[in-house]
Order: sequence, then C-alpha cells, then structure tokens
Amino acid sequence: MDDFSGPDLISDLPQSIIETILIQLPIRDAVRTSILSRKWRYKWSTITQLVFDEKCYPNCHDREAVQKNVVEFITRLLFLHQGPIHKFQIVNTSLQNCSAINQWILFLSRNDIKDLDLELAEGGEFFRMPSCFFGCEKLTRLELSRCELDPPVSFKGFSCLKSLNLHQVLISPEAIESLISSCPLLESLSLSYFDCLALTVCAPNLKYLCLEGEFKEICLVDTPLLVELSVAMYMTDDVAEHMEQSSTCNFVKFLGGNDLGRLAIMYNNLETIEMYQVSFEDMKEILVVLRLITSSPNLKELHISGSSNISAATYAAGFEFWEKECPSDSILSQLKVVKLTEMSGVPHEIEFIKFLLGCSPALETMSIIPSMYDLECQLKMLVELMKFRRASTKAEIYFIRGD
Amino acid sequence: MSETDMAVIKPEMMKPYVWLQTSDDSIQQVEQEIAMFCPFICQEIIQKGMGTSKNCAICLPQQVSPAMLSLILDYCRFHQVLGRSNKERKAYDEKFVRIDTEKLCELTSAADSLQLKPLVDLTSRALARIIEGRSPEEIRDIFHLPDDLTEEEKLEPLRNITDDPRIRLLNRLYAKKRKELKERERIKNVEVEEEHVDERSVDDLLSFINGNDRDPKGIKTSKNKKKNRRKKDQQKNSSSKEEISVPDKKEVLNGHNIRHQSSETDGPCETSNLHHNLHHTYDDPMLEFDDDDTDDEIDPALKAKIDREVEDFARRLNCDWPERIKDFFSSTQERKTMLSTTNGNGFLRRHACMLLPCVSVFYLTHHEFAFRMKMNPPRWPLA
Repeated sequence: MDDFSGPDLISDLPQSIIETILIQLPIRDAVRTSILSRKWRYKWSTITQLVFDEKCYPNCHDREAVQKNVVEFITRLLFLHQGPIHKFQIVNTSLQNCSAINQWILFLSRNDIKDLDLELAEGGEFFRMPSCFFGCEKLTRLELSRCELDPPVSFKGFSCLKSLNLHQVLISPEAIESLISSCPLLESLSLSYFDCLALTVCAPNLKYLCLEGEFKEICLVDTPLLVELSVAMYMTDDVAEHMEQSSTCNFVKFLGGNDLGRLAIMYNNLETIEMYQVSFEDMKEILVVLRLITSSPNLKELHISGSSNISAATYAAGFEFWEKECPSDSILSQLKVVKLTEMSGVPHEIEFIKFLLGCSPALETMSIIPSMYDLECQLKMLVELMKFRRASTKAEIYFIRGD
Repeated sequence: MSETDMAVIKPEMMKPYVWLQTSDDSIQQVEQEIAMFCPFICQEIIQKGMGTSKNCAICLPQQVSPAMLSLILDYCRFHQVLGRSNKERKAYDEKFVRIDTEKLCELTSAADSLQLKPLVDLTSRALARIIEGRSPEEIRDIFHLPDDLTEEEKLEPLRNITDDPRIRLLNRLYAKKRKELKERERIKNVEVEEEHVDERSVDDLLSFINGNDRDPKGIKTSKNKKKNRRKKDQQKNSSSKEEISVPDKKEVLNGHNIRHQSSETDGPCETSNLHHNLHHTYDDPMLEFDDDDTDDEIDPALKAKIDREVEDFARRLNCDWPERIKDFFSSTQERKTMLSTTNGNGFLRRHACMLLPCVSVFYLTHHEFAFRMKMNPPRWPLA
C-alpha cells in the first residue's frame, strides 16, 4: 500500500538483531509484532527470553479476572512459542499459585531453561515445584518466591547453577543444605524470609552470600572465595522462647560462635560485610563480629546495624575485653567505607567505633545513624566520638540525624 | 577482545593507523587503537595481519558504508577514553542514538556486522523504544512495512492467545462476509457493477472526521449510495430496534452523527463504529480490560490528554480508512443481524464505552467551539 514510503527498513535485519529488539520490548508488544506483516508473523515466536512483568498485566481491579487472563495468556503464548527458552521470568505480577504453572514448568524443563525466576504474589498458596523441575539440568540462575521445594531422592543437584535466590520458600533444612552443596558452581546464594534455624553452607565457589531470616546457627564451611556477606539473623519472640534463647542474641552462634577461638580460615577475598541487629551488650556477639572483621584482610566496606537493649548495655562491664580482643596491632588496611545504623550510643558501641577508627588507615567515610532521638544523648555520643584517634588522615565522619 | 590479546600485539604490531575499505570501495586511514574496538577489525589485524597498508586494506562487510563507519568510529572514540563516568557514557549513548530511524536501522546492521555488541545493544534498545506502545499501523508507517496480512490473519494470533468474545463475534462476522461476497460474485456475473474506490484525500478525511459541515466533495455520499440503497431497508428496521434495546447506544450515535453529518443513513455510522472496534482489537492482540469509567465531562486538566486521544483517533481512522471502509460497508448488514441475534447488547455496550471518550470529545469540543464563536465572534480588522 505504501509506494511512497520506500524500502522496508527493519524486516531484513539479521534474526539475532530482531531478537535483541524483541527481547527489549514488553512481551505484549513483542507478540503484537506478529500482525505487522507477513515477515513478522512468527519472528517473535523464537525469542529465547520471556519476561512477564507488571507491563503484561491488564489494568483491572478484579483480581480473579486478572489472574485468569494472565494464566491463559502465558499458557497460550507457550503453545505458540518454538525453540529453546533460556530465560523465563514472572516478576512484579500478582500471579498466584495455580495448576497451570505445573505445565509451564514441564514445558520449560523440556526447552533448555537456564534462567528461571518465578515470583508468586502474596495471598495465595505456596506453589509446590513439580518433580520435573529438578530435571532442569541447564539451570544457571534460579529465583523463587512463595514456592515449596521438596527434591526427590534421586535429585543430584543442578550442575550448572551459579545463582540461587529463595525468598519465602518452604524447604527442609536437610534439603537446602544438600541443594547448596550439590551445586558445585554456586557463586551467589540468597535466602530471605527463611526459617531453618541452623544452616551449614558448604559451597567452595561461593562469592555472594545473603542470609536473612530466623537463623539460630549459621556455619560456613569451605567458602574461601566469599566477596560479599550480608547476614540478618532474627528470631520472633515465640520461636526464641521455644528455643530457650533470647531473641536479641542473634550472632552468638554465627560462624561457629565463640567456641572457635580464632576463625579457622582467612577470608582473603571478602570485601563487603553487612550484619544486621548486632547486640552490643553481648560480648560473645561482639566477639563474633570482631573475629570476622579481623579475618578479612581485604575488607573494604562494612555495614553494621545495632540492636542494643539500652538499659542492659549501658551498664555493661567488661571493657578489658577490648584490650584483650583487639590488640593494638590489628589493622584493617583496606577498609574505606563504614556505615553504622541504629546506633544507640551504648559504651560497647562507642568502643567498637573507637576500634574501627583507630585501626583503619584507609578509611574514607564513616556514617553513623543514631537510633535515639534525644538531643542530649546524641550530643553525648558525639562528644565521645570527637576524642578518638583516627588512623586515617582523610576519614570523614557523618553523623546523620533523622528528623 | 581480551587484555592478553592487547598485550601480545602491543610491542611490535601496534601501529597508529589502519586502512579500511568500506562498501563503496573507498579506502580510508583510521586510528588503529580506535578501530580495534570492533572485534571484526581486531581479528583481521591480529589473525590475518591485514590493514597495514593501503594495498592490503581491511575489507569491511557490505553493511558498513562510509557514513556508518564514521558514526561507529565516533562511538568507539568516545568509549575508548578511560576514566569517563558511567553517567557521562550513558548521556553520550542516549544522544548518539537520537538519529532518524532509517539511519538507526542501518547503524544497527553495520555494528552487528563488525560484531560491536555494545553498539548493537544500544541501537536495538533504541529501536525497541520506537516500537514499544505503538499501534501496528504506526509501526508499519515508521519502518515502511507492507501491510500484507489479511484481516483474518491478523486476528489469528489473537484467537490463539485469548478467549475474547469479540474475536468470536468477529470470526462469525467474517464467515458471513465471505458468504456474502460469494453471493455478490454471483450477482456480479449478471450485472456489471461500477467499482467503488475511495478517492478522498487525507485532508478530506480529516475534515470529515472532525465533523466539518461541508460535505467533502460529495464523494462519500455518491460513492456509497449504491451499496447503502441495497441495505437501507434492513438497516432502518434493525437500527430502530437497537435504539430501544441499547440505551448506551444513543450517545455513540450522537458522536457519530457529528462525524458523519454528511451521511444520509446511519449505515456509515455503524460501519465506522465497527471499524473502530476492529481497530481496537488489532491494537491489542492480548485481551485488554476495558477501562470504562471515563467520564463524559471535560475537566480542563484532562483537556491535553483528550486532545491527544482525539488526534490519535483521527490518525487511526485516517491511516487505513480507504482500504478497509469498503469491506466494512458491505458487512454492515451482517453485523446488524448479529447484534440482534447474539449477545450484541453487551458487545455494543462494551465498545460504546471505549468509543465514548473519543466520540463525546468530538461532540463537546465541537459545541464548545460553536459556543465560543457565538460569544466572541472573531473581530475582523477594518481594512
């Protein structure tokens, strides 16, 4: 119809380019290209990456209708698709558990799935992964939320898996440990909303570890390559009671706790440490933190958030501990950025800050966010901070007060 | 290329310039360091030892014209400089792909042939941004794609991917249309019919759509008279029936009457309504939920948005009206019967909702204009 418009600009580009373009489009727009012209009829159907996000959702408040629509859309789309599917993601959607997902997983397991991201919305039941899922041998990245994993006895691990991210996933402690240790290439592990209490991580290639949940004991075995570590151990009061443990003493048993004396290994690659809710009234917990820091000679960034029981911590004794445990020759030669949040200004916190300032010659910034609002208390903490010797001449200290 | 490669070639082979031959057979000298950014050129130099002199210039792929080469080298030259911040690089990239679409396609292809992946990704992303959110008509227009699929084919992916009642109705409609065409074919053999060609210009169509009072050259009425006459009786019957049974319809017809003031029957109105329905479905291969809570009232704040909608609607009607209107005129009759026999009531109401925002805007803006003219008649300068 267009004699005036000139030659077709785009249809004859190599399929690899067309695919790159189609992948960048929201999936609805990609499928829509099939009605452009004869040449575009099936171009979309071979794309290897399928991402279903909020953009593929109809704008409607009837949740049930939306659910039905999306399930049908994905099922039909998979029917029309041909060839391998390397990436399949359902993210930021309100999709809930439904039986159709079983078919999708089976379909994907037969089509070379490498990157699977299945995030189900709040509200529905957890989705139990079908047994065919454990046969996805090419999986390199797996992210699940609100799912249930129960590997069959015959499961031998994902031999190519490099990244595992489980958020609100039901899995037995034995199963998660064996899953982790049976993925030899695992580099990144993130578990959140997890409640397995005791966890032993054995992953020789692990570089990034992020743990968040109701953990009582975390033990790292054979993780020499660790680069980033982020841990938030918390315990709801009822569980803590059940375990006859205080809900605030979180890190006591982290990394084997204080029984280990010195840590058995040095974390030579560890550059970033984040630890949340450290109780500064508990010597054992402080000790665990100190051990980890002093065993990481290449540490560059440290983020600690406090959770002190102020009344207990204010009158804490035992300051000889700092003399004993922090010999003046300890040095954090690479540490550049320190972020301390939820600081209540209790004596052991102040001592900890003093220690960091005194032995970090490369320190560039230290930001402190106090948890108390009382101006008097803040002032007192600041006055204390002023006194401390700083090993770094260029260290800047930011005292960031909330409103 | 990896750093080790660089290390290997650096000592003896690194020469400041390299010779490149582009698709038009012209040869030019460019800084080797920059040209090496393209894996294709890099391989030619390292593996084949090419490009050292004018006589053994590296023959670039057909896709690389001199203009494209110079663009690509600009890109490499910028990114080759170390110490630029990510923000700077991003800003440069953003600006770099702000070129016309034809060039952009050419550039993508040229970058691909030189295996310059970052540039391929950049340009592909830019192309994707052009496609995203646009209607098929717009995309065809931008990239000069032929509109070579039949209406039925266009509906196929739709049929496969959704269970939309609209599609069922449309399929039924097409079946009937085929039957009718066959029938007409038979009649044609007996009496020679004149050909119906829509000769209206774009301007005519636009003014027609916008509800100008004048009859655009009278083409429309004369053109469709014949067809309409054939169906007039049936239409009259069914339309009067509809007006009673479908309360929402009234407003739709109102809107249409403004756009079709020149038409003698409401046949064309019906057709354009259907036409719009079809359009809606073309644009949304996936089932879309109709947002039907749009009000008729014109809030000044909404005016800009509404204006855009109006423009969009006009453009859509405009872009392929001539081709399709003919078909739909002939199918008016079927649609009427279908509406009265099937669940046409809900069908129409749903689409009336979609149509209303546009149509009522025509209606209101038109009246508003008339009103304003009355209040503030234009003052002519005294000559």
